Amino acid sequence: MINRRHFLSAAAPALALSGYPVHGFTKEPVKGRIVVIMLQGGMDGLLAVPPIGDDDLFKQRKALVASNPLKLNPLFGIHPNFKNFSKMLKSNEASIVHATSFPYTARSHFEGQNVSQTGSKIPFSTDTGWLGRAMDVAKITGKALSLDAPLLIRGAPAFDNFYPANIGKTQAPQSELLNLIKNTHDGEVMVAIDKLSQVSMNSPSRLRARDSLSLATKAGESMREINGPRVAVLTIPEFDDHSSIGSTTGHHPKLFTLLDNVFYQLRSALKEQWDNTIVLTTTEFGRTVQENGSAGTDHGFGSVGLLAGGLINKSSVVSNWPGLSSKDLYEKRDLFATIDYRSVCAACIEAAFKLDHDLIVDKVFKDKKITRIYEHIFR
Amino acid sequence: MYENKNNWARKVGFGFRPDDEVPSNIDVWNSNQLDGKFQLFGLNKVGLWPEEHNFSIEQRLNRLHKHHRYIEKTNKEKISLKEKKLLNQVSKRESDVHLYDVQKLWNSAIYGNDTFKQRLLHFWANHFTVGGNVNFRNYVIGDLIHNVIYENLDGPFDDLLYLATTHPGMLDYLDNTANSGENSKEAINFRKIGRTAGLNDNLARELMELHTVSPAKNYTETDIRNAAKVLAGWGQSLTDFVQRYNELKIQKGNPIGNMSLKEFTLSPYIKNKAEPGKKVIMGKPFPAGPKALRKLTDMLAQDDFTAQNLSKKLAIHFIGENANKSEIKIIYDAWKASKGDLVKVHEATLKVTRATRVKKFLWPSTWMLQGIRVSGANFMKENKSAGGFGGIRDDGTPNYEPLGILEEIGHSFWASRQPDGYSEKKLDWVSTEHLDRRVRIASRIFNAGPSRSGEEIANLLDFSDRTKVAISKGRNSEEKFIIALCSSDFMEI
Repeated sequence: MINRRHFLSAAAPALALSGYPVHGFTKEPVKGRIVVIMLQGGMDGLLAVPPIGDDDLFKQRKALVASNPLKLNPLFGIHPNFKNFSKMLKSNEASIVHATSFPYTARSHFEGQNVSQTGSKIPFSTDTGWLGRAMDVAKITGKALSLDAPLLIRGAPAFDNFYPANIGKTQAPQSELLNLIKNTHDGEVMVAIDKLSQVSMNSPSRLRARDSLSLATKAGESMREINGPRVAVLTIPEFDDHSSIGSTTGHHPKLFTLLDNVFYQLRSALKEQWDNTIVLTTTEFGRTVQENGSAGTDHGFGSVGLLAGGLINKSSVVSNWPGLSSKDLYEKRDLFATIDYRSVCAACIEAAFKLDHDLIVDKVFKDKKITRIYEHIFR
Repeated sequence: MYENKNNWARKVGFGFRPDDEVPSNIDVWNSNQLDGKFQLFGLNKVGLWPEEHNFSIEQRLNRLHKHHRYIEKTNKEKISLKEKKLLNQVSKRESDVHLYDVQKLWNSAIYGNDTFKQRLLHFWANHFTVGGNVNFRNYVIGDLIHNVIYENLDGPFDDLLYLATTHPGMLDYLDNTANSGENSKEAINFRKIGRTAGLNDNLARELMELHTVSPAKNYTETDIRNAAKVLAGWGQSLTDFVQRYNELKIQKGNPIGNMSLKEFTLSPYIKNKAEPGKKVIMGKPFPAGPKALRKLTDMLAQDDFTAQNLSKKLAIHFIGENANKSEIKIIYDAWKASKGDLVKVHEATLKVTRATRVKKFLWPSTWMLQGIRVSGANFMKENKSAGGFGGIRDDGTPNYEPLGILEEIGHSFWASRQPDGYSEKKLDWVSTEHLDRRVRIASRIFNAGPSRSGEEIANLLDFSDRTKVAISKGRNSEEKFIIALCSSDFMEI
């Protein structure tokens, strides 16, 4: 059980809602919505979406394959705990990108998480996130619902956040007081206090439970509003399963169920706005192809991305499958990533914010090598 | 730069209390901070910290064992709701140990005279992050902080590194308890019965990446694997060490012999799980057996990249994130010259910080503890009417509030979190909600009866004119106090 004590810590489920359209800023507010689910710790893509048609899978992995995956096509199956997501696949509302990763191979969580949020090849080389920059280009202001401001959406104009406090015997600070405090600050702190004094006048509805599913519901409900946020970032921690990861049941499969329910909650809460939405997962890296000695998997490279939303017209598994025989693996141990996941992010930005691919490549990722795979996901 | 002694004590410590004697000679004070003897302060009154609230690792593991027994009982045995409630209560009392640990950390910061050492304690506790878990790891995190890190701040880094690496909390947190050699007796036996056992490289990876040389060293995956082989055999899982002890006892050949449960949990090296044979890490050979780990941590501790990595981290923590290269180099030179003698390293840190013009945006907890300390707010509840801040029960024992407050400001050493610890970047702590928490905390501090007013704090610490003007505009003494604590002059030093 995840209680709210865990929420505020760095490795806890978190939600950031962002991107409120500003009237008069653009001619017509952007309709599309993007939800990013950050799977913190490194999801095992081969356990989530096993390539059951590749015989080498069973040669490489003895235990860590679910006994009854749902078959998607001759090559791929999906872990049976993805019940809702499978239904979305059937109804052409979801897609999968396999053998993919952000361009990062050094297997450090912290560098990998940084790269997956900045979209830059070099860890810790920039202070803004790829989604924040995309919002900047699309002229959507930022507002997050969390204690921290996630790196992924930093760089959005007028960034702001909201999260109700729970400190006994205290009240929301009054704006007169905040204005006086503001006068003693410059830069980011001044801006943040200024936003806080506006929040205290116009407080959004209170968020009560802070577990992943409640956060997903909250995200969907807020984003459903006409002038609601266009961007939400959900963090699901605990994917770093070095031991006893589980195959059909166990810790990783439990997280699959949680993720599956998050997809379901988002869809239910977004209602008609689901049609304008794309949800995508990110993770810092995949895990080793072979299991380690303690029935878990260690840090690897290629993994899988799960996408869902009404912006998808036809479901597919997008993959340039590299194979799993030892000679096909990255450094003889990891699934090769044949698709740069930034291409997937770029396609989602293109679909939701209606930005031109070249502009995204130029202004958001600043890397001309990112190919356009929009047609494969949003055909 | 820090001619105002009160500000200097905030730059490297938690500041001076109203009842502290501000030293006439700051150089003497500085050197006392490095090697002086200090007293710890009370639980619910300003006096010595009661000995019965210091817990050894044995006491902690015994309490944890009891806790597990209660859980086992409630799960397995048919018991009445009343009994269940009672068991829950008892197991909760066992886990009180971590509440004392939190309280001790607060009291030491607010009342201790070893204020620089206390800040160093927070720095190193963050460097050797062990993420919490209410059901088990919280029993031992305080041991790592108070008994291991604090007690080794004036010795060689080699010692601190080895002790932190082999701490039951660290071994559990970074999965080394699940790490056994591929050719260990246990792995061979397990394979025969169809069970898996083998290497888990989590601790080995973070030992190199975070605790010592950093990825700048360009070590290979093979180095990490071989380090994991050296680590194989170390550690007992804190979740089920009793069960594991019983399993091993009946395992073929009884790998733990006559070892008692206590010995088993306290001697974390299990030969049966160790990888036999020589290992090579970064070009150096390591023999089989438990002594190899000390050789490995010593090698890593003495590596030039460790000196670089940690000098930079210390500079950023005390000077600020814009500490320049020449400042870092002074700490680095001291590290190299003394081979990582932490007294010399910390001395250089003090020296270089004294001369800097770079400012540090304080961590939320550092800021809060400074606010309580410098204002003279009443944190301890000396009697029922005193109120206090931080919540002490009427029987004088701590309750959950201090821990809750740390979690609420996103800065608890007992929280579940990632092994890289809390960020030193200002931007990671600036959001409207983080600032909302600071305003609320400042209000709580005011209501705990500080002996210094907002204006007094502003004068004492030479606040800028614009801050003094803002304070003067506060509509009452509470607002004036909050503005003082939440001003840039107090948050950034």
